[in-house]
Amino acid sequence: MIRWLPFEGIAAMRFMREGWIQTLFILVGVSLGVAVTVFESSILTGVQANFLRRVLTSQAHIVLLPPDEVARPLHNAAGVTEDATLQRPNQRLRSIDQWQTIRQTAAAMPGVRVVANIASGAALAVRGDATAAIALVGADPDDYFSIVRVPDYIVAGTLRLASDDILIGTDLAILLGVTVGDRLLVTGRNAVARALTITAIFDLGSKAANLRSTFVAFRTGQSLLDLAGGVTSLEIAVQDAFAAQTIAQDIAARTGVRADSWITTNAQFFTAIQAQNTSNLVISTSVALSVAFGVASVLVVSVVQRGREIGILRAMGARRGQILVVFLIQGGVLGFLGAILGSAMAAGLLAVWHAQVRQLDGTELFPLLLDPLLIGSTIAFAAVVGLLAGMAPAMQAARLDPAVAIRG
Amino acid sequence: MAEDALRLTAIHKSFGLGSPAEVEILHGIDLTLERGAFCALIGPSGSGKSTLLNIIGLLDRQTSGQLAIGGQDTQGLDDAALTRLRGASIGFVFQAHNLIPAFTAAENVMMPMLLHRGWADAAMHAAADALLERVGMARWRDARVANLSGGQAQRVSIARALIMQPVLVLADEPTGNLDTASADGVFDMMHAMNDEQGMTFLIITHDPRLAKRCGRIIELVDGRIKAETA
Repeated sequence: MIRWLPFEGIAAMRFMREGWIQTLFILVGVSLGVAVTVFESSILTGVQANFLRRVLTSQAHIVLLPPDEVARPLHNAAGVTEDATLQRPNQRLRSIDQWQTIRQTAAAMPGVRVVANIASGAALAVRGDATAAIALVGADPDDYFSIVRVPDYIVAGTLRLASDDILIGTDLAILLGVTVGDRLLVTGRNAVARALTITAIFDLGSKAANLRSTFVAFRTGQSLLDLAGGVTSLEIAVQDAFAAQTIAQDIAARTGVRADSWITTNAQFFTAIQAQNTSNLVISTSVALSVAFGVASVLVVSVVQRGREIGILRAMGARRGQILVVFLIQGGVLGFLGAILGSAMAAGLLAVWHAQVRQLDGTELFPLLLDPLLIGSTIAFAAVVGLLAGMAPAMQAARLDPAVAIRG
Repeated sequence: MAEDALRLTAIHKSFGLGSPAEVEILHGIDLTLERGAFCALIGPSGSGKSTLLNIIGLLDRQTSGQLAIGGQDTQGLDDAALTRLRGASIGFVFQAHNLIPAFTAAENVMMPMLLHRGWADAAMHAAADALLERVGMARWRDARVANLSGGQAQRVSIARALIMQPVLVLADEPTGNLDTASADGVFDMMHAMNDEQGMTFLIITHDPRLAKRCGRIIELVDGRIKAETA
């Protein structure tokens, strides 16, 4: 007899062992339910984490831009309004006014990790008879590449951005028929043109980005875009990406520039995550309810089957509370063991799934993350669900009249 | 002087109280069993024997009247207190042995001690082994009860009833499911335990042959004690 357990624990274990077929079936049921929940939650968390990582390593958390130019009506003398049709002005490429001061202010803000000066705009890449419209980004590589992880996506060449260097995407390289070491003629604003050497080719995982995006040194960008001494934007990375919106609002309030956080510019991303989380919650809740009803139904049957034994135990001096605990323990143990088995099943499935399912570019669809917190909370949750599910049958058992139960 | 093992005073029991179908089963039972008595309770089916036994065993409550076990008045005791008193003072032997199949013979015997906590493992095992030895079941101490014959299981159930050294042992047709030889063996066993340990036995039986072997016979008819033979 297992004497490190009190009577209630011993009886619960023996009852489960004696009815091992029922125990096995409900354990399988609980395990499958938990496995589905853990598997689905892990995949969802992994895919979201992967997606989030890609989003956050391909754009700044906050972008500071000059305020939009607006047309203002001319006013005559007081009380006289000019009857004019105001046309919205085009947004010409221009620098942020007093950008050095704004940069210092932003860099000193709590939570800001790095600020990069950007000179970006449209340009034309020419190679022989082939031309392509490109988006030119001029930036200091030390700052900018710690925000946008272009170095992670380089597929040819080496990362070097001297004043005559340029990084281009794979699709642009194919379009223009160039490779690392070739030279490109880049024509920027006001027909400023320079011949630049391709030092590296990158693959950002998007055809449009690979065709359009190019990176040059900050001063080269200023020169090509005719922005001597100016910046078109300041791009910021913060310590906590999810605090970006608050920090952006603070910066805008202090400096008067427009501050767009990645949270506002990727609203659809958050809508998708919210939808996924909601569906995950619905599925997990349904599974938890199925597990609870499964455990409860097995224990109800067990109480009916063991009515006479419960009566005998009561005749021998078992208190109602002891009988209650015997069945509560069974519910808790079924939930707990089922959750452990289910978590192990989910871990195996995840490992197989992770090895088999890849993205189109061959990289992993999701990181293989078995969050100990998820596993631990699922096991605890399942044990609690098992306990709660055992409550009704346990109370039914505890309420049995021993004289009636013994008669059967 | 030791208190009586059992004292019943004007015990009435009705079912369906307050309803048109109310029926009184026991009509004022007065009964005293001195310690060490070996008593048979006989009577036709429906006479109220089992109802009386359930009341004496604290499994059911009388509608009125007083019940004392070993001098302890049960009036006013709540369910928990009755359960404690039942576990400590009363042993049960049922017609169907009613052992718990999930446990071995020895575990069934020590079950009342396990339920009451506070007993050391060694004490429980020693008590169970001694009783199993005494009822001739030592060889089967680790056997699953499903593998025991009816007579063997009933011997184990007698050992279980005695392990707490109760004031009173209630046996409800303990030989009813046994062949004559086994029935005699079980009855002899109870008699011997009564002689050796001085425990009080109240045995319901339909077998006049066995009833005659008891020191006292109480006949219950229609919820009343009709006759007593010493």
